[in-house]
Amino acid sequence: MNKLVYLGKRIALAIPVVLFGLTMAFLILYAGPLDPVYSILGRKASEADIQRLLVDLGYRYPNGQEVPLWDQYRMVMTDLFTLNFGQSWVVQRGRPIIDLIGARMSATIWLGWWSVVIALFVGIPVGLFAGLRANTFSDYFASAGGILWRAMPNFWLAVILSGLLSAGGALSFYRDWGADYGLATKVVGTPPEVNNLFNVIPLFDGIPVLEMLFLPIPELQNMAVAFKWILPGALVLGSASMGNEVRIARTAVLESINSKYVETARAKGVSARRIVFKHVGRNALIPLLPIIMGEFYLLIGGSVLVEAIFGINGLGSLYLRAIFQTDIPVIMTLTFIFTIILVVFNITQDLLYTIVDPRISLDDVEG
Amino acid sequence: MAEEPVLSVSNLQTVFHTDKETIRAVDGISFDVHEGETVGIVGESGSGKSVTARSIMGIVESPGEVLPGSSINFNGRELTELSDTEYEQLRGSGIGMVFQDPQQSLNPVYTIGNQIREALRINQGLRGAEAREEAINLLEDVAIPDAARRLDEYPHEFSGGMRQRAVIAMMLACDPEFLICDEPTTALDVTIQAQILELLDGLQEERNLSILFITHDMGVIAEIADRVNVMYAGQIIESAPVEDLFANPKHPYTEGLLGAIPGEQADGESLRTIEGDVPTPNEEATYCRFAPRCPEAFDACDAVAPAHVSVGEDPDHTAACLLYPEEQTEEERVSHHRSLGAKSRERPAGDVNE
Repeated sequence: MNKLVYLGKRIALAIPVVLFGLTMAFLILYAGPLDPVYSILGRKASEADIQRLLVDLGYRYPNGQEVPLWDQYRMVMTDLFTLNFGQSWVVQRGRPIIDLIGARMSATIWLGWWSVVIALFVGIPVGLFAGLRANTFSDYFASAGGILWRAMPNFWLAVILSGLLSAGGALSFYRDWGADYGLATKVVGTPPEVNNLFNVIPLFDGIPVLEMLFLPIPELQNMAVAFKWILPGALVLGSASMGNEVRIARTAVLESINSKYVETARAKGVSARRIVFKHVGRNALIPLLPIIMGEFYLLIGGSVLVEAIFGINGLGSLYLRAIFQTDIPVIMTLTFIFTIILVVFNITQDLLYTIVDPRISLDDVEG
Repeated sequence: MAEEPVLSVSNLQTVFHTDKETIRAVDGISFDVHEGETVGIVGESGSGKSVTARSIMGIVESPGEVLPGSSINFNGRELTELSDTEYEQLRGSGIGMVFQDPQQSLNPVYTIGNQIREALRINQGLRGAEAREEAINLLEDVAIPDAARRLDEYPHEFSGGMRQRAVIAMMLACDPEFLICDEPTTALDVTIQAQILELLDGLQEERNLSILFITHDMGVIAEIADRVNVMYAGQIIESAPVEDLFANPKHPYTEGLLGAIPGEQADGESLRTIEGDVPTPNEEATYCRFAPRCPEAFDACDAVAPAHVSVGEDPDHTAACLLYPEEQTEEERVSHHRSLGAKSRERPAGDVNE
């Protein structure tokens, strides 16, 4: 089967997944015991105000009759799928949700980018190193580190790290680092200039598109400040994946290096270095792929937590605030975006498999 | 055979260190391979055949170790003294090896062509179109039809027999002087086995290859080998030209092995087996390791290590067994072996072979 045909099928199959996820969210938010009117108007609102608001929010018809749940569902879904996200109810009442998200997205992407990069560029090399020196002291050291790092839950690690870094003491060098060059001595909060690092430009009717990494990099100092502020959060967010990558990379290397094809490669005179990079490397990538892709799932859940603890004003903390304040359209929009991202990564992962491992063929799908 | 052997192994000892004990997987074996000759090594699983091959290739991994005092001489070079990089250069162009399991001997994520061209580049310096041309020739040499198209396929698209041919083609791409075949036909069915053996025979004639052929299959050995070494628990216990070995097996173990070939029995007679298993050789041999399973064992077998003595008419036919030399009395034989054993402890064991 052609890759494009396969892609088309996967996208078609993704639609029910997205629909199901959003339906669940809708049922919880609209049929559940939530009262957005109360959180907007407070306890002392007059009956007339309440009635007007209920009509505004789409719960009642102007004649006072309740809108049936099914009709609400149809309206909400139509709006989401036509990318008509509407306005925030509570968090910043009246502000278009697209603006709200656009303003916060860059902080989250900055956080996510570094958490993936740090985990990848530390976890995999350490795992390879440990696998190539299996059962030596350095292997035990690296493996134990990987397990320990993996075992620390990120909410705990985030609290400990932010505490240690802001309390000063032995780790205060990090807080003070770069102060001489005018870098801020803060480790918690939204990196101030981060919005300037990416150009969020409106495209089509209001969908922001990131021109990340394509535009000339702005001032290096801004970059350094933003990096310094985001590093603790990124480290925490990537911690579990980093530990996983160490362990899986180690196992994958061990399995591959003891295989017959490596022995055969040695028998034909391939050098030790080339064996590691050509013959072991690509085979070790196969079990690593789901771990690497799995990082993206962690990012979405993890960013809610990490952003809340490190005071980063990104999508995660927006999500959390929207939930606490019953800002239903914001929750629905973010759920929609997160679901789409997950589905896209899932399809990407399956396509990547066929590239890394030629034994996996799309022909067998669907019989 | 007056000329110098291509490969001369003497007193090779390869041990594996475990927490509990040291396993003497190969325990002082000696043999020669001459140019254009096929020497077979037969034995049960666990007798040390494959470890012998890996020791020659220099790919014994920790916790394994080739003990000092072992000698592997290849065309006048002492392999046990080579550095890692020197060994890397020797592998492929000097000594090639075909492994037991063709299903797993090829890297699953690269095409057959890629892997053959890699061998061509490293050992013959061929690149690009030239390498591709040569790779097609090699696949045709090992009788793979439609070679040009097959070159771009992955190992999983090849059948078992095809894969073993591809592995052989890959080893030929190294243009080795000496080829070690470690049970190359064991994983294949009988008709494919015969084809591979024929192929090896033809290639040997064409390129004047010397081959060390390892198998547990007496039938395969009869077909391909010029000379046979029978291994048991890390030691060679009988060594003879192939016809002589099959016609006049001398060691009780060899007799047992030949008796265990299906189809050699008279009507109604059930297939004979050798009772018991190969022991794990974890201490120095001060006795005959086959004694516990030997139908002809006597008391001295548990106390004296047998040395190689000439048996039969051909002076090249030797066996390590206290039953020989036949013409002597039991007492004479035992003291003869005892004195040979004492001598071999003073000198490298290899000398006893000659």
